[in-house]
Amino acid sequence: MSAFAYHRPHSIAEALRLKNESPDARFVAGGTDVMVKINCGAMRPAALISLRAIPELGEIDLGETTSIGASTTIADLLRDVGLCTRYPLLSQAAHKLGGPQIRNLATIGGNLCNCSPCADTAPALLALEARVRLASPLGEREIAIEDFMTGPGQTCSPPDEILTHVLLPKAPSGALGIYLKKGRVCMDLAIVSLAVLLVADGDELSRVRLAAGSVAPVCLRLRKAEDLLAGKRVTPKLLAQAAQAAMDAVTPIDDLRASADYRRRLVGVYLRRALESLLYGNEP
Amino acid sequence: MMRITFSCNGKPAEVTIEEHQRLIDVLREQLGLYGTKEGCGQGECGACTVIVDGRAVNSCLYPAPEIEGKSVLTIEGLNQTDNHLSALQRSFVEHGGIQCGFCTPGMIMSARALLDENPHPALEEIREALTGNLCRCTGYVQIVDSIKHAACKDEKHGA
Amino acid sequence: MAPDLEYIGWDMPRPDAADKAAGRAVYIHDLTRPGMLFGKIKFSAHAHARIVKIDTSRAERLPGVQAVITAYNTPEIRIGFMRDNFALKKDRVRQQRDEVAAVAAINPRIAAEAVELIEVEYEPLPAVFSPEQALAEGAPLVHETDPRGAKRTDNRLGLRYHHESGNLAAGRAAADYAVAGEYSTQLVQQSCMGTAGCIAEFDQNNNLTVWAKTQIPFLAQRDFNQALSAMGLRGKNTRVIVPTLGGGFGTGLDTHAYEYIAILLARRSGRPVKILYDRGEEFARLSPRQSSRTHIEQGCDKKGRLTFRKIEVLLDNGAYTSWGATYPTVMLLPATSLYRVPNIYFDAGLVYTNNTYCQAMRGYGNPELTWALESNLDELAAEAGIDPIELRLVNCNRPNETTPMGLKVTTCGLRECIDSVARKLAWKNKRLSSANKKTGVGMASLIHVGGGGRIYRSDGSGLILKLDDFGNVNVYYGGVEMGQGLHTVLVAAVAEALGVLPEKVFVNPTDTGTCPWDVGTHASRGAFMAGNAAVAAALQMRDKIFEHARELYTDLVQKNIARMSKREPGYSPPDFNISQAAKDSRFEMRAGVVFVPGAPDDPVLLVNLDVLLRAIHFRQQGEVLVAEVFYDPPNELPDWNKGYGNMSAAYAFGAQGAEVEVDCQTGEVKIVKLAAAHDVGRVLNRQTLAGQTYGALAQGVGYALYEEVKSERGRIINPDFRDYKIPTAAEMDFPIELDFIETNDPAGPFGAKGVGEAGMVPTAPAIANAIYDAIGVRIRDLPITPEKILAALEKLQPSHSPIPPRKENHPCDT
Repeated sequence: MSAFAYHRPHSIAEALRLKNESPDARFVAGGTDVMVKINCGAMRPAALISLRAIPELGEIDLGETTSIGASTTIADLLRDVGLCTRYPLLSQAAHKLGGPQIRNLATIGGNLCNCSPCADTAPALLALEARVRLASPLGEREIAIEDFMTGPGQTCSPPDEILTHVLLPKAPSGALGIYLKKGRVCMDLAIVSLAVLLVADGDELSRVRLAAGSVAPVCLRLRKAEDLLAGKRVTPKLLAQAAQAAMDAVTPIDDLRASADYRRRLVGVYLRRALESLLYGNEP
Repeated sequence: MMRITFSCNGKPAEVTIEEHQRLIDVLREQLGLYGTKEGCGQGECGACTVIVDGRAVNSCLYPAPEIEGKSVLTIEGLNQTDNHLSALQRSFVEHGGIQCGFCTPGMIMSARALLDENPHPALEEIREALTGNLCRCTGYVQIVDSIKHAACKDEKHGA
Repeated sequence: MAPDLEYIGWDMPRPDAADKAAGRAVYIHDLTRPGMLFGKIKFSAHAHARIVKIDTSRAERLPGVQAVITAYNTPEIRIGFMRDNFALKKDRVRQQRDEVAAVAAINPRIAAEAVELIEVEYEPLPAVFSPEQALAEGAPLVHETDPRGAKRTDNRLGLRYHHESGNLAAGRAAADYAVAGEYSTQLVQQSCMGTAGCIAEFDQNNNLTVWAKTQIPFLAQRDFNQALSAMGLRGKNTRVIVPTLGGGFGTGLDTHAYEYIAILLARRSGRPVKILYDRGEEFARLSPRQSSRTHIEQGCDKKGRLTFRKIEVLLDNGAYTSWGATYPTVMLLPATSLYRVPNIYFDAGLVYTNNTYCQAMRGYGNPELTWALESNLDELAAEAGIDPIELRLVNCNRPNETTPMGLKVTTCGLRECIDSVARKLAWKNKRLSSANKKTGVGMASLIHVGGGGRIYRSDGSGLILKLDDFGNVNVYYGGVEMGQGLHTVLVAAVAEALGVLPEKVFVNPTDTGTCPWDVGTHASRGAFMAGNAAVAAALQMRDKIFEHARELYTDLVQKNIARMSKREPGYSPPDFNISQAAKDSRFEMRAGVVFVPGAPDDPVLLVNLDVLLRAIHFRQQGEVLVAEVFYDPPNELPDWNKGYGNMSAAYAFGAQGAEVEVDCQTGEVKIVKLAAAHDVGRVLNRQTLAGQTYGALAQGVGYALYEEVKSERGRIINPDFRDYKIPTAAEMDFPIELDFIETNDPAGPFGAKGVGEAGMVPTAPAIANAIYDAIGVRIRDLPITPEKILAALEKLQPSHSPIPPRKENHPCDT
C-alpha cells in the first residue's frame, strides 16, 4: 500500500477547496470500496479527502422531500425509524448491503458514487424516483439518480463534485415495496437484484416502479414492464408478459459470478415473485 | 505524519501516525495490541473487527486518522482487571466456540456489539450478526451456542 | 463409558482456548524477531514462458531493501517429493504462480514496492490447461526433462496407482444392473483464516531456525536440511518451531517455495526474514485442493449385492508435484473397501499442465472418490429399483473383516451409522413439495483411516513426559495443534492415564529441537497417536513413580504422622501396615496424590506427587523423572502399484444424510437438515469432536454447493473471499444432528479412532442424492450450483421455464 495524505474537512466548502488544491485527491466516505482498492494496490491516490466529519452530510431530514446526507452510514439509515417507516423498500435494500461491519461504515452516498451495477441501494432509490444533490465549485445542482449513474463505476459527476444529499419524494400513500437479491451466499454482491414499488387496490395496480440491478451496465428502470402493468388488473398471463418484458429489457453479462442467461431468467422469476408477494402475501 | 488522540480500551491514547495507516496498523504496530488480526484486507472475513463508538467495524478498512476523538474497543479491552476473561469470552471457552482461534477476536467483538444492542437475540439474529465473520474451523454451531449462552447469563457489558 | 474415567469422555475445555479468547495467542502473523526483515515474492506474469531476462537493479537501489534474489544468484534448491519443483524459477515459468524473484526489506511497504521495480522479460510459450490438452498429440511439454535429466516424451507423470482384485469380467457378467458415470470435483481452497507464513533465521554458525505454519515439523526439518546442503551448508541443522496455527486443513503438509525463499533471503541478508502471504497470495499462490475426474461403473444383482466396481481417475497435476498427486493413495480406501465388493479395478493417473499444482486438504482424495462412488451407487439403486439405504445395508462392511485392499477392519459401526441417519431423516416419510419448491432426502457413507495412515517409512509418534519438582507434567509432543483439539486430547489422556489434574499438564510448543519425531498431523492421526503415546508414556512414568514410592512412601507417611501429631495432640495414627503396603507396591495415583487403594481414609496416608518428586530429586544420587515413548502403530506401507496393504491400525466409518429443498425456478438448494453418524471408537471429548464434525460438515456443504477456485488459462480469477464463497453462520442455519457411535477399538487410546477428516467425506454425495430425490436430476460435477440445477431441469422437462430467445436489434448488438 502506497503512502497518501489524509484530509478531514469539516465543511463542504473546505472539502471542495482541498480538492481544488490537490486535483489528484479522491473523496472518500465510509471507505468500504475505496479502502479495499487501496489495500490490494488497485488504487494509489495521492491523497484522500474524507467526507465523514462534515455534519450536514450525516443528517436525515424527513420533510415533504426527505433528505439523506450522503455520508449517512447504512447502519444509521437502518436505525432511523422515521426513515424506515416512510421508505420500507429502502430499508429492505439497505439491510441486504454487506454484513454488519460493512453497514456500520458504508454510506448511501458512497454506494451511489462507487456506482457498481450491483449496488444495493440503487434499485430501491430508482424505484423511489430519488434525486441527488451535488456540490462543486460551480455551485449546487440536483439530478435524477437515473441520470447520475451512467455506467459501471461511472457517474455523470466530474471528479471535483461531491454528492451531498439523496433526496426522496414522499412515497405515494399505500405504496408497497420489496427488494429481492440473489447472492451465492447470504453476504454477497448481488448477482441479480430487483426493487418493486407499487400501489394497488386489490389486484389492480395503479402505479408500478421496477428497478433491476446487476443485469445491465447500470441499475435500470424496467419501464416496458411497468407500462404493461400500470393501471391493469394482475393476472397470471399479465405477470408472464411483464416478466418477459423485463427479461427482454436487461442486458446482463457472463462473468465469474453467474451467466447472462441465469441473470436474465432470474429477473423474470423475481418479478413474478415480487408481485405475488406484494399482492397476495406469498413468500417471495 | 499526524498526531491522533483517541480512547483505546477505556484509556487515552495518543499516537503519531502516517496518514495512510489503517486503524488495524495502529492497533497492532503502535499500540502492541496483537489480538486483532488481518485476514483479508477486504472487509470480507471480519477477523479485524473492533468496536468504534459502539459499532463493530472492519479495522482493515478504517483509516487511522478517522479514529480521532473516538473510542475503540479491541479484544484486549474485554479482559477484566487481574487478567480475568469477561463472561462472553468465558462462554466461548466453555462452549467450544474456539478452535484455531484466528477468527476468535473478531468474532467475539461482533458478538459483543450485538449483545450491547440486543441483549437477548434469537438464534437467527445471532447468525445474521455474524455474517461478516468467517470461520473455517467450527461450522459456527458452537460459536452461536456460546453467544446464546452468554446472552442468557444476562450479564452487563464487560462483566 | 467406563465408570472411572475422569477426563476422557467429558467436555474438558481446551487448554489453549482462554489465550485465544483473550487475543493473546501468538500466530506467525504476530511473531517478530530482532532485526527481522520482510520478504516479498515476485510471481510470474505468464502460465508458460521462457524467462529472457530479470533486471533487479532498480529494486536493489531502493532504500530499505536488504536483499534481492533470483534463481540466477542463488544455489538451486529442488523441492517437492518428485523433485520437479524449484524454490526460485530459472529459465522457465510453468504456471502463473511461479516464484521468479524475491526481496527482503525493512518493512512490508518497501518490500512490496521493490517487487514492483523488478523487471522480468518473458517469451510466452504455448500452454496446456487441461489433461486433454496436455495429452493431445503434439502438446507442448510442461517439463522437458524429468528430475534426473532424462528427456520426457509426454506430460504424463510416472506415478501410478493401481488395484485389481477378483475378476472384473466375471463381476460384470454376474450383474443384473450396472450404471456407469463420469464425475468431477473442483479446485477448492483450504481457506485457513490465518494465512501462510514463516520466519527464517540463521545463527552465526549457520544453523537455521524456521518458525513455520506447518503440520509436518520433522519432515520440514528434513526438507530444509536438504536445502541447506544445496546451499553449501551440508551438516548444518534446521530447527522447526510451530507457533499457534491459524488453521491447517492440509496446507501445512508440504514445504513451500515461499519457505525456501525466506531461507535464501535470510542467508543473503544475514538477518531473520519473515514472509507472510496476504489473502490474495493465499488464494492465487498457495496450492489448493486437488481437482479430479472419475469414471466409475458399479453393478449389482437382483438382490442388490454389488458384483463389481471399476474406477478410473484422471488428475490434473498442475505444473509441479505436491501431495495432490498422492490423493489416489487414500482414494484406494473407498474404492476397494467402502461396502463389500468382490471384483474391483482401480487405476489413477496424473498429467502435468500449466495450471496451479495442488496439495493436501482434509479428506485427501476420499471426498473426491466418495463423491463419485456414492452418487453412482444411488444411480445404481434407481436403476435396480432398490431403496438406496437398503442397497447399502446389503453390502455393508462388517467388523473383523479384511477388505480387498488388505485393510484389516477391526471395529466397524457402519450399519449403526446408516441406521442412525435413516432414523434422523425419517427416511421413509413422504416429503412436502409445492409448485416451486421440492424437498428430498439422500445419504452417503464413508470409510477412512482411523488409526494413523502409513504413507511414509514411519507412521510413528514420539512423546516425552517430564515431571518437575512441583508435580507439573511437561509434555513434549511433535504433533501439531491446528485448532482440531490435539492438545486437549493430549492433556486429557495424560491426566487420565497418569492420574494427575489436567491443570498440571503443560504441553510445550512443537519444536524439532525438543520434541521427539512425529511424521505429521495428517490422516486424522493426531488424537489416535497422541493418545496412544500419552497412555504408554504415562504408564511408564507411573511405574517409575511407584518404584520410587516403594522406597520412599514409608518415610513420607511417617513425616505426615509426625506433623499431624504435632498439630493435634490427641491424634493416633491409622491401623495400617505402612511398610508392608510399600513393599507390596500396591499404589495408585489420582489427581496427583499417591495412595494405597483400600487403605483407611486418613490424610496422613496420602502423599502428594510433588512431595514425592522432591524426595526423589533432593537426596544422594537423586533423580528427576522423564518417560519417553515412540509409538509406531501396527499398520503397513501399502504397495501402491498393487493397491494393497493394511494402511491403518483402525478404520473410521460413518454416514451422513441430508434433507434439501430445491427451488425449481431459481435452482437454489436450501439445506433443511443434516444428520451425521460417525463410528469414532470412543468419544474422547464430545465438545471438540462435535466441533470438528460441524466444521467438516460446513466444508462439505461449501464443497457441494458453491466453493470453487476458478482458473482461466492458469490464472486464478477469484482470489478473494468476495468471489470465493465459504459458508457463514447464516448458511449454517439448519439443524445438524450428530450421533457418535462407540465401537471401542482395541488399537485406539481408550478405544478411540481418528475423526478429523471423516466429517467432510460423504457430505457432497449425500446432498446430491437428496437433490435427486427432490427433483430427479443428477448433477455429476461439483459444485452443484443453481445454474447447473436449472440446466439439468431444462433437459428433463424442456418446456420448463425456457430461456427466452433474444430479440432482434437487441441493445447489446452493435
